[in-house]
Amino acid sequence: MSSGPNIALTINGHRLDHDTIINIVEPGTRVLDLGCGDGTLLVKMVQRRQVVARGVELSETNVRACISRGLSVRQGNIEEGLADYRNKAFDYVLLSQTLAFLDRPEPVVREMLRVGKHAIISFENCGFWRERLRALRGAGAGYELCSGEPRTRAISLRQFESFTNCVNARIERVFYLGNTHPIRVLPVLRAVIGVYVITQA
Amino acid sequence: MLVQTQSVTFQRELRLQSGAVLPQVTLAYETYGQLNQDRSNAIYILHALSGDAHVAGYNSSDDTKPGWWEDAVGPGKAFDTDRYFVICSNVIGGCRGSTGPASINPVTGKPYGLSFPVVTVADMVETQRWLLDYLGIDQLLTVTGGSMGGMQALQWAVSYPDRVRSAMILASTARLSAQTIALNEVARQAIYADPNWNHGDYYNSAPPNAGLAVARMIGHITYLSDTSMRDKFGRRLQERERFGYDFNTEFAVESYLRYRGNAFTRRFDANSFLYITKAMDYFDLSYGLPSLADAFVTAKAKFLVVSYTSDWLYPSWQSKELVRSLLQNGLDTTYVEIESDYGHDSFLLEVDRLAELTHDFLTQLAPALHQTVSTPNHIAANP
Repeated sequence: MSSGPNIALTINGHRLDHDTIINIVEPGTRVLDLGCGDGTLLVKMVQRRQVVARGVELSETNVRACISRGLSVRQGNIEEGLADYRNKAFDYVLLSQTLAFLDRPEPVVREMLRVGKHAIISFENCGFWRERLRALRGAGAGYELCSGEPRTRAISLRQFESFTNCVNARIERVFYLGNTHPIRVLPVLRAVIGVYVITQA
Repeated sequence: MLVQTQSVTFQRELRLQSGAVLPQVTLAYETYGQLNQDRSNAIYILHALSGDAHVAGYNSSDDTKPGWWEDAVGPGKAFDTDRYFVICSNVIGGCRGSTGPASINPVTGKPYGLSFPVVTVADMVETQRWLLDYLGIDQLLTVTGGSMGGMQALQWAVSYPDRVRSAMILASTARLSAQTIALNEVARQAIYADPNWNHGDYYNSAPPNAGLAVARMIGHITYLSDTSMRDKFGRRLQERERFGYDFNTEFAVESYLRYRGNAFTRRFDANSFLYITKAMDYFDLSYGLPSLADAFVTAKAKFLVVSYTSDWLYPSWQSKELVRSLLQNGLDTTYVEIESDYGHDSFLLEVDRLAELTHDFLTQLAPALHQTVSTPNHIAANP
C-alpha cells in the first residue's frame, strides 16, 4: 500500500510529529523552519505559540502558499547556506522530515547549530521494525524507486545519535513517536519518527 | 476610471546629491481611491524608466490608452483602489509633467537642456517625500515598483525608514550591474550620435527622434527574453511571403522594434532619457559603504522581493544579493522567484501572480493597521 516508511498519521487534523515540535517550542520565540513547505507547521506554531516565524523553501508554489498564509519566507535552497543569518538569530531552527533529502546534511546541521540556540530535527527512523523487515525481504531501504520521491537517505536513530557527535552537538531532548502515540519501550525498533532537540556542545 | 493628473510646484531649493541646486521643483502626480481616516492606507507606486504619473485609468472619456499599470491598479485589482489610496508621481528629470531637462529654467527663461543638473534616485525620492508631506501622509503602507521603480522603493526604505511600513521590490536591484550600465550607455550613444541632438539643445528645432528610437529599441530587446522573442516573433516575416533581399523591414521582430521605437519618440524627451538612465547607472546603495548590508542598517520596513526567472536585465542573482543583505540585518524579508518566460517585462505582464502576492502581502499588513493607535509624528506640509 504505502510507497515508503510509515509516516506519522494525521489524526483529527493533528500530526503527532508536528504537535511534538510545537510543544517543544517556547511561546513568543523566534523560529526558522528549513524546507517549510506550504507553511503548515509554521502557521500552527504562530497560532499556538505566537512565535516569530520565518521559513526557507525551494518551490515557488510553496513559497506563494506561505505568503498567502501571512508567513515571511525566502525562496532558496537550504544547502546554499544559512550564512546570512547572524549567530543565534533564532531560538529554534527546524528541520522537519527534511534531513533525509539533503545531499550533505553535515554543513547544514552545523549552520543550524550556529544560527539557532536549539535545532529541532525530525526524521523517519529506518530502524523501525517494518522497515528492517522490508529491507530483509529485499525491498530496499527508504522510498521505492517508482514512488516519485526525490533521492533520500535512510537514517536510523542510532545513526543520527552518532552523527550529533560528528557535528559537535549535544542532545537536549528526544521524542520517539509511533503513528498514534509516543514510544517508550525499544524505540530503536518501534519508533516511526525521531524528534531530536540538539544544541552546540 | 477617470483620473486627473495633478501638479504641485515647490517654491524651494532642492539640494541634489551632486551638490547642485534646483531653484524650484514641479511634480506631476495622480491619486486613486480614498485616504482613510487615520491616513494609513497610502501606497506609493514608483515608475520605471519610461513611465509617468498616469499609472491607471483614463485621463478623459475619449482617452484611448489607460495608464501604464492598468492591469494592477484599480478597484478589485492587485493595488485595490477600493481599499488603498494610491499615489504615483513622475520622477524629476522626466518629461511627463515633473521638472526635467525640457522644463523652463526660471533663471534664464529657457529650457534647461544639458544645463539641467544630474539627478539621482535619492534625489527623486527626496521630492517624493515632499509630495507625501504636502499630501499630509506620515507613513506609507507600502512603496512599490518594478525596475527603476524598485530602486526608488529601496531608496525610500533606506532614506526614510520611519515613513514606510513595507516595500515591494519587483525585478530590481540594489545596485546596477555592469551589463545594465553598458546597455544604458549604448542607448545614450545612439542619442548623442543623432545630429539633431545638438548637445541637448534642440527644443526650438527637430528633436533627435532617430537616436531616441534606437535607444528605445535596445531597451525593448532587454525587456524580452530569448524565449518570449521566439514565441512572439520567431523568424516570421512581416506582411510578406518571402525574402526581399533588401533593407526594408522584413522580420516581424524588426517591425515590432521600429514601431516601439517610433511610438516612444512621440511621448518621450531624449534628454530625459539621458538623465534617467544616468540616475539608474549611479544607483548603488552600497556606494561608500563597506558592504551592501551596511546600507540597510537603519531600514525597518517589511520587504517583499520578487524576481523573474527569465529576466536577464535584472537577473535573480541581484534580487538574491539584495535579500541576503536584508536578512543580514534581521529584516522581515520574503523572497519569491516567479517562473516566467516574459523576461524583464514579466513584472508588467505576470499580473495574476503578482496580484495574488500583493493581496496576500498587504492583507497581512492591514489587520495590524486597524489595531495600531495612531501616533502622529507629524511633519508639516510645507510645499
